[in-house]
Amino acid sequence: MYSKEVMRALENADVREGDKVCVRASGGEYEGLLLPRAELGGENCLVLKLDSGYNVGVEFSAGSEVELVERGKPLVFQSSDFNVSVVGGKPRVSILGCGGTIASRIEYKTGAVFPAFSPGDLLSFAPELKDIASIDCRKLFSLLSEDMTPKHWQVIAREVAVEVKKGVEGIVLMHGTDTMSYTSAALSFMLQNLPVPVVLVGSQRSSDRGSSDNAVNLVCAVLAAQSNFAGVGVCMHVNMNDDYCFLHEGTRVRKLHTSRRDAFKSVNVSPLAKIDYSGRKVEFLRDAVKRDERRRVEVDDKMNENVFLLYTYPGVKPEFVEKLDCFDGVVVAGTGLGHVPTNPFDDEFAQSIVPSLKGLVEKGIPVVIAPQTIYGRIDLNVYTAGRMLKEIGVIGDGCDWLPETALVKLMWALGHVKKVEKVRELMVKNVAGEVSERSPVIEEERGE
Amino acid sequence: MSESVESELKLKCGIEVHQRLDSHKLFCNCPSETKLGKHGIEIVRMLHPVASELGETDAAAQFEALKGKKFVYQVFDDASCLVEADCEPPQPLNADALEIVLMICKLLECDVVSEVQVMRKMVIDGSNTAGFQRTAVVGVNGKMQTSLGVVGIPTVCIEEESAGIVGEQDGRIVYRLDRLGIPLVEIATSPDIKNPEHAREVAEKLGALLRATGKVQRGIGTIRQDLNVSVEGGARVEVKGVQDLKGVSDVVRKEAERQRKLVEVLVELKKRFGGKINFEARVVDVSGLFEGTASKLLAGKRVFALALPRFAGLLGRELHEGRRFGTELSDYAKGAGVKGVIHSDEKLEAYKISESEVGKVREALSLKDEDAFALVSVEDEAVARKALALVFLRAKMNVVPEETRKALVDFGSAYMRPLPGKARLYPETDVHPIRITKEMLENVGRKMPKTPEEKKLELVALVKNEELASKLLRGRNLQLFERIVAGTKADALAVAATLEETLVNLKREKVEVEKISEERMVELFVEFAKGLFVKAAIPEVLKEMAGEEGKSVEKIVEDKNLKRISGDELKKIIEEEVKDFKRIMVKYRLRVDASEVKI
Repeated sequence: MYSKEVMRALENADVREGDKVCVRASGGEYEGLLLPRAELGGENCLVLKLDSGYNVGVEFSAGSEVELVERGKPLVFQSSDFNVSVVGGKPRVSILGCGGTIASRIEYKTGAVFPAFSPGDLLSFAPELKDIASIDCRKLFSLLSEDMTPKHWQVIAREVAVEVKKGVEGIVLMHGTDTMSYTSAALSFMLQNLPVPVVLVGSQRSSDRGSSDNAVNLVCAVLAAQSNFAGVGVCMHVNMNDDYCFLHEGTRVRKLHTSRRDAFKSVNVSPLAKIDYSGRKVEFLRDAVKRDERRRVEVDDKMNENVFLLYTYPGVKPEFVEKLDCFDGVVVAGTGLGHVPTNPFDDEFAQSIVPSLKGLVEKGIPVVIAPQTIYGRIDLNVYTAGRMLKEIGVIGDGCDWLPETALVKLMWALGHVKKVEKVRELMVKNVAGEVSERSPVIEEERGE
Repeated sequence: MSESVESELKLKCGIEVHQRLDSHKLFCNCPSETKLGKHGIEIVRMLHPVASELGETDAAAQFEALKGKKFVYQVFDDASCLVEADCEPPQPLNADALEIVLMICKLLECDVVSEVQVMRKMVIDGSNTAGFQRTAVVGVNGKMQTSLGVVGIPTVCIEEESAGIVGEQDGRIVYRLDRLGIPLVEIATSPDIKNPEHAREVAEKLGALLRATGKVQRGIGTIRQDLNVSVEGGARVEVKGVQDLKGVSDVVRKEAERQRKLVEVLVELKKRFGGKINFEARVVDVSGLFEGTASKLLAGKRVFALALPRFAGLLGRELHEGRRFGTELSDYAKGAGVKGVIHSDEKLEAYKISESEVGKVREALSLKDEDAFALVSVEDEAVARKALALVFLRAKMNVVPEETRKALVDFGSAYMRPLPGKARLYPETDVHPIRITKEMLENVGRKMPKTPEEKKLELVALVKNEELASKLLRGRNLQLFERIVAGTKADALAVAATLEETLVNLKREKVEVEKISEERMVELFVEFAKGLFVKAAIPEVLKEMAGEEGKSVEKIVEDKNLKRISGDELKKIIEEEVKDFKRIMVKYRLRVDASEVKI
């Protein structure tokens, strides 16, 4: 919205957004289409689209004039028609929209990005989809992925089960990339006995640019959804090139770059598969659960959201840790092999948080440890700090999980059991590939 | 009134100048340098149709155009980063570059917008990794005085340079990322240009004005002129990539001429067709007729012929020197990937195509005398058919087509592609609008360079030679001149004469003066200002500098025995040469300053 003064002046001149106007201001005379105020632009700056297509901002102040040149159409977003199927004799793949960059569209006049999700929209940026699958599209919600909550995970899990029961070949979830690996981990725990693939996909570069990674990612995800695999995976670029995608295991993947197309990496395991965009081929890189349409999916989505993720750091205060007793569970992302400040040498500045953590455990709050190094396995036997944590009953020694996966798993475990010992039992047991006993030697940046 | 003057009166012409600015890249902190060495990694990308408000067909057309096309981008580690790789959002617009453009706006008496809004201009040829070029209007309604009145400057934009094309490799188009993102100013004039000479004057004036800021890049490729030309009955044609200012007027003249002649051809054709030019595409495989031909061009290949009814004589019609109507058709065929086509108005015996072979082709196509034909010979039938389809498409046009053409060395031009429709622009939401505050404008006001007129007065006062001052102003040495004069206290006239005359003369004598860097020129005048050698010795020193890149000026002077003679030594010589001025100067011209020889 423009400022009150400007709005009044526009009203007096009988001028609305979308009209062609002439503005005379101290900065000169301009004619163009009046647009809504630019996001982050000045509230007194009228935005005009000139005949050349360029937008300019013109300061409108006392003494400025605006005049109607030609009445235009009011600016409204075109609404897309949702839930329409693309027919064809190809294998059926359901695409569910959970928001994010991949399912957004630009309104060219104003430049506003708004959610768009219809088969028409999808086909407009990836027309090749119609050659590889018969697509069913459905929007679950329009959401920025940073706004996702465990409640949303539950909705997604149930809706995926609905699609599975329809007997589709596979399901693709379009999702924002920021929290995609939390959702993939949650679905991995919630969706048990899956007969077919559930593939999450997103894009790192917005769909309003020709260079967006959305088409390659989506096409590869649809291919992965038809492959011989059952479980939850994430499908994103292998590297900066537009040629291959990896299918990552849902509990083993993390976004490790803010902006690159290859931000998603499999951690401590190889990716499940490599997908050739041009060749339309899926090549499995290691053993994976095979698809089996006879299995019947079970939705086990009980969650306890009251869990905290503590990222320890030099100088972390014991008093702060003590306050975490309002939570039902705490994941500590520890340093190195799984450490926190323990001060065994009575240093004058150092402060141990072990007593505070012990206090939590004694109150029946499970404390779980995971590595903030991201890569590698927790080992509480090597150094004093680790041994002290082990002694007070911290859960996770020997686990090679990601902090976020440990967090999601703790929410899920606490949805099922309450007692610390029961929680421990469930946590250290491999449920969905999140922990393993072997640490494979992985070539760095495989596939590049 | 002569014919040519009359046609010039109906000429419409405008210029678009793109000039690189002397600052780091527009949306990141990479230096604006094009690199010489080997590139680092390569990135392979595709572009996809962008969902648009313009509907399915538009997306479908985009998809067809981009289908299977791959682009390779060479990364130059010191001059490109994740921003150029389209793997990181742009940083805020380079404030230094914006200041230079504000300066240029002021010199062109523009109104400056209150808020600069960066736009994305859709580009799908791969020359921008993002699929669009970032560009913004900074100034509007500007003007420039010329000898034939005011020329309007409707817009001054700041924008990013595209990636440099390297070539094609296994069907992939290869670009280099060092050039992508270098800040440019784009100045467009109104179609106020009156005639070809005027076009050159406007281009020169704009160039001088840009250089006068002292903040633009110099050297090959740093400035480009596009010319928009149309004549009455013709069409708007954009001739791109005119690099040489001297060529501007010739390009305009030839383009006007070409359009005028095309109009004549159209009139004649329409007369022959009795109205609209309209005929069916008739393509015949005539390979069999050329078995055992003497023509190397056709021997052993598949040959296809297209009938061009009623075109006889017109294909050979000269449009301007070096270009016939047939050349235009042939240029279109190149779009299919062939080198061109042969047509029946050419001297076919030059290709060793015999009269009887021509007769057989005419027979195969059942042509009458007034009909012509085009031949294409390639391995692949599909390519041949596509080439002839393009020739047919061009031949059937009832108007002079709107085109984008590329300038050729002879100042003519060749067809590149149809003139693009209105550019599709939408806001760059990753870059905040930039408020142009009063303080910014005042600040720019304080830093304003002198106008070319003011600059000239200043130069004349400094150099004390009007002709040299004008040369400096028009040429590309002004910045170097100022650098030397400010940095070395060397005599301004000597510096100007060296840059504008001596170097030109040496070049004519085939001395490779371009090998002498700016740093070396500064070194030359540092030593000159110290009195190490006299003015007359400069050409000799320069010759050595061009040959011996590693040798210091001091060493050159010593080795070539060019050290200035003065003081007591000079007095001694004057005595020895019995005070004969002429004799002294003949003998010691390169070592003695005449003004010091007081007799």
